[in-house]
This record gives sequence, structure tokens and C-alpha cells, in this order.
Amino acid sequence: MSSQSKKNSFAFRLFQGMQKDNLSYIYRGIFSQSITDGILSLTESNLDKQGEDSKIKKRVFTIMVEGLQNITRHQETDDDAYVNETGIFIIQDVKSRYYITTGNPILKKNIPNLENQLNKINSLDAEELKLYYKKVLNDNIISDKGGAGLGLIEMARKSGNKLTYDFVELNDTYSYFYLNTEISHNETEPVQSTVNPKKSLENIKEIHKILNSEDIVLIFNGIFNQESLLNLLSIMENQMMEHNLNLKKKVFNIMVEMLQNIVKHGANGKNSGENPGIFFINQKNNSYQLNTGNYILNSKVKELQQKIEYVNSLSMDELNDFYEKSLFNFQIDSSKEAGLGLIELRLKTNRKITYEMTEFNEIFSFFVLQTVVD
Amino acid sequence: MEKFIIDHTEDTPKVVLDAESGLFSIEGRSLPENAVAFYQPIFNWLTSYEENSKNPIAFHFKLEYFNTASSKQITKLLLILQQMAQKITVSIKWYYYKEDADIKASGSRFAKLIKADIDLIPYE
Repeated sequence: MSSQSKKNSFAFRLFQGMQKDNLSYIYRGIFSQSITDGILSLTESNLDKQGEDSKIKKRVFTIMVEGLQNITRHQETDDDAYVNETGIFIIQDVKSRYYITTGNPILKKNIPNLENQLNKINSLDAEELKLYYKKVLNDNIISDKGGAGLGLIEMARKSGNKLTYDFVELNDTYSYFYLNTEISHNETEPVQSTVNPKKSLENIKEIHKILNSEDIVLIFNGIFNQESLLNLLSIMENQMMEHNLNLKKKVFNIMVEMLQNIVKHGANGKNSGENPGIFFINQKNNSYQLNTGNYILNSKVKELQQKIEYVNSLSMDELNDFYEKSLFNFQIDSSKEAGLGLIELRLKTNRKITYEMTEFNEIFSFFVLQTVVD
Repeated sequence: MEKFIIDHTEDTPKVVLDAESGLFSIEGRSLPENAVAFYQPIFNWLTSYEENSKNPIAFHFKLEYFNTASSKQITKLLLILQQMAQKITVSIKWYYYKEDADIKASGSRFAKLIKADIDLIPYE
């Protein structure tokens, strides 16, 4: 129990840490075409929700596509050297300025060439970049990876900013390549950034370490609504492709209940609108741990606690009976509440529900829920 | 009676209620945010069918996934069919993908709880 509550505090710390850095979401793992598509539509619906300007949306998109392609292209490469690391994608939204970071392992021997390209790009102004882009395009220098550095030029052009990057050694053959792009509102004039890009990349490297040690494959920190839920589901469905149907369905099932829980019952910690919260998944072999965190009103804490404790107190047989009774209890039957979610979580996971409430201020508490599916 | 047809979306199933051909089906995924609102028109249609028609019904459930909010509405749908079965012939077919333990278990549960014949039918 104590180790579980330590984990829960971790969820709250992670949420707070990400709020502070205004991180929006992170995906860590294998990047397939469908996962890439899922990430793109998740971003699209979030940008739409925020009423983002279509020009900026397009730039964010272009940069994301290039960055994601970089990851997919490079993860396929291999000599026989072993590399355990997967790619990472992070999008941050800081005061309506976007930061996109990608990371992937690369062969050390490719670093000098890549670094030359990056330095060259960073030395050019907007007009020079445009000419350089044309030149590279005309010269048609196709590298053996199928790219010609055009992607990087395009990212620099669309962002209107310098590319920030770093390499971290993994082993004798591989290093990890981080690339960070800031998207300011005006394409030609770089805006004085409020965030030191080098420092923000250092933060990301720190977070990446935590993700690696906790085996976190997906974090979403943002507004929870039906649309983001569907996008997250589609990303997870693809991420779990290789698992057997029943495990996949269980994770899918639990994920829907947990996320709709936030959509329906979460409170607004800050502004009006939809419910902020955090969702993350850890994966260890064939076991998934799903975590949600969201605000609830202090006045609702006791009732929720009693509900969970009651569900936790039942044996599996009693739980089944309670489920069936609740199924036919049409006293509880509204758009918000069917009275089945918590019972389902226990039945499907075959475990007690782990949770934690932390008082946040006079009005709200932070509610963390954790389930394990295997 | 006018046919009731809604195509599936990412979070709602395809629904066909066709009095003329006697085909009734619900197929796909059901995880809408507001399940009550999604299922209400289906209940309305069936209630009016019950008042207007004596023709037998074969109702096909071919669900791939549904959330708990939907499961309550599916219970309601089955209760309506159970009631209709007192006056007309109602056959309920519950399809499940042969490896899908979850949908199969839900089917068995409903077959136990609903006083109407529910056939569980595996498919490949």
C-alpha cells in the first residue's frame, strides 16, 4: 500500500511539474504510421479547441510532420548494434507559443554530418534559408536515409527560429538526438522567447529520464473531452498492436472508463471550459498501469471516497451481483452517471481500486486513480 | 413505418431499424459521452413500432465494444425487447468475435438477466 501511495504522489508531482512547464503531451515508444496519425489528430483537435490561428496551426503541423518523419525514418535503421531506446515526441504550449521536441537514437557516426547541417541552417536568416532550401532541392542531394536535410530546413523556416539540439551518448554505437523547435507567431521575425531553449531542452531530458525509469509510454496533460479521448484511444490501440485481443480490450475498456470519468466528473481547477487533468500509462511487458489525475470539488471528496471504499470492500461475487443490480437501477441513469464505472474498473482489473485525494486549495482536491491491467 | 438508420461513427454504432424487411441491428463500438441521448431515439422508435406493428422482430447485436454508460442503455433496449416479446415473436442474436471473451461474457450476462431468448453466436 505504501509503495502504491508513493506512486500516486508521483502522479500528482508529475502533473504539477508538467503544469509548471506547460507540457501538453508526450508519446514515447515505437512510432508507426497510425500512431503518427493519431498524434497529429490529437494536436489538430487541441489546436482547434484553443481556437488557434489557421496560419500557426499549419506551421505547427508542418513542423510536427517533419519531426515525426525524422523519428520513423531513423528508428528503422539498424546495424547489429543493440539500442534499447525508442523515439519520443513532446509538444508544449507555453503562452500560445509552441515547442515541439523530438528525440530518437542515431548512429554516432552520423553525428558530424547532422551537426554540420544544423549549424549551417542556424547560421542563415530567413531569406538565406529560402535560397538554401531551393539549392538543396535543386541539387537533389539525397542522403542514404532518404532525406536531404530538407526536413530540417523546412522546420527552421516554418518555426522562424533557430533549431535547438543535443546529443546524449547511449553506448559505443548510438547517441540520442534531441531536436527542439519553437514556433513563434511571426514567421520572419523570431520573437524574444520567454523560455531559454537550452534550458527547456534540459528539462525535457530530465522528464525523459523519468519516463524511461517508470516505463511511461504516453502522457497527456491537457483538456479532457470526448475528442481527446478518442485520439488517445487510437494512439494506444496502435501502440498495443502486438498484444492479444483480450488484453487490448481490457486496456481500452479501462481507459475509456477512466477518461470519461474525468470528462464527466472532473472539476475545473482554473478557468471555465473543459476539465484539465493528466493521464499516463506505464507499460511493463504484458502489464499496463493506467493513471489519471484530475480536480474534484472538496465537497464531493467524501462521497467519492465512500463509493470507492464500498466497491473495494466487496468480494468478486458480491461485485458481480452489485454490477447486475446497478445495471437495472434506473434511478441512476443520466447523461453523467450510470453508476457502473467504478465496479467495472474492479471487475476488469481483478484488483482493488487504488486512489488518492490531495487537497489542492479551499475548493478543489486533486484526485488520482490508478489501475493495473494484465 | 419509416426506417431508422444511423451510420457508425468513431464512438457510436451503426443502427438499423427496418420494419419492412424485419431487420434490426446494432453494430460496432458504443462509447459516446452521452449514451442516454444516443439511445433515446432508438427506444422511441421501438415503442412506436410496438404500438403499430405485429410483425416478428429479429434483433442483431454485433457489438465490438461498449462502455458502462452504453451497457445500461443496452439493458434498457433489451428490456423493451423483453416486453415486446410478450406480444410478438422476438428473437435476439448476440454476436461475438470468437476470441472476444469480453463481448461473449456480456452476452451471457444479458441472456441470464433478460427474460427473452438470446442466442450467443460466435463469428470469425
